[in-house]
Amino acid sequence: MAIRISCQHSSRLLSQREDEPLPFGQRVKLRLHLMICDACTNVSRQFAALHMAMRSIRDSDDD
Amino acid sequence: MPNSSKLSAMSDDNSTTIDGPALAGHRVYLLKIARIQLRDETLAEDLVADALAQAFERRAQFRGGSSLRTWLTSILKNRIVDFLRKSWREQPLEPASDDDENAIDRIFDASGHYIHMPSDVRDPAELSQQDNFLSAVQHCVDRLPKRIGQVFVLREVFGTDTKELCKDLNLTSSNVWVQLYRARMMLRQCLERGGFGPPQAE
Repeated sequence: MAIRISCQHSSRLLSQREDEPLPFGQRVKLRLHLMICDACTNVSRQFAALHMAMRSIRDSDDD
Repeated sequence: MPNSSKLSAMSDDNSTTIDGPALAGHRVYLLKIARIQLRDETLAEDLVADALAQAFERRAQFRGGSSLRTWLTSILKNRIVDFLRKSWREQPLEPASDDDENAIDRIFDASGHYIHMPSDVRDPAELSQQDNFLSAVQHCVDRLPKRIGQVFVLREVFGTDTKELCKDLNLTSSNVWVQLYRARMMLRQCLERGGFGPPQAE
């Protein structure tokens, strides 16, 4: 069983975990990958910023 | 379609806290989120008007368990879902969807690595408070292909979870995940050009 996953695979898991908790095996693989991959760590922060921005856009009281 | 003055006229019943002014107070918010979802001012106004009329009709069902805004949003969401289902039935998928998938795959090399290093976002929370960034996100969301955008906004603005999205839009879980994945990957690419990265030199 392959433990190491590609960045492309990680990108799918990063998106999926925004919507559903990942199954345990996938979560472990993603964690391990993020520990060694700056690119995917950056993407995970980008997704976080995007998600929070959508919240701000929705909840802001400007007009 | 009820306008504000008609809503006031309807509130002749003092046994409820939901009356014309209470509903009208939420109209601006409902219009905002409807516009983001539908990208069409007139349509947004129509669906918000329908939702408010329906909320007034069903006001006895509002028990105050959630906030009035949450309740109204869910009524609006149902109106939007009805609209989207009808619209999807009547308009077959644009053929462009194949190109979208290829564009996303092209950012990875043959081994699945990023060809270009994604921008480092030091503090996502801080960035998400910046007006420039929020404008960029709004702009990029508006540019998403229609269906992908519709699913993404239902998820992120209306907070619809995967299971509900499947039920509402008649999609499989894997369909939903693919649409949301495409949306996020397109959005991050759009934001790399103006949002995440430093200002473009060109």
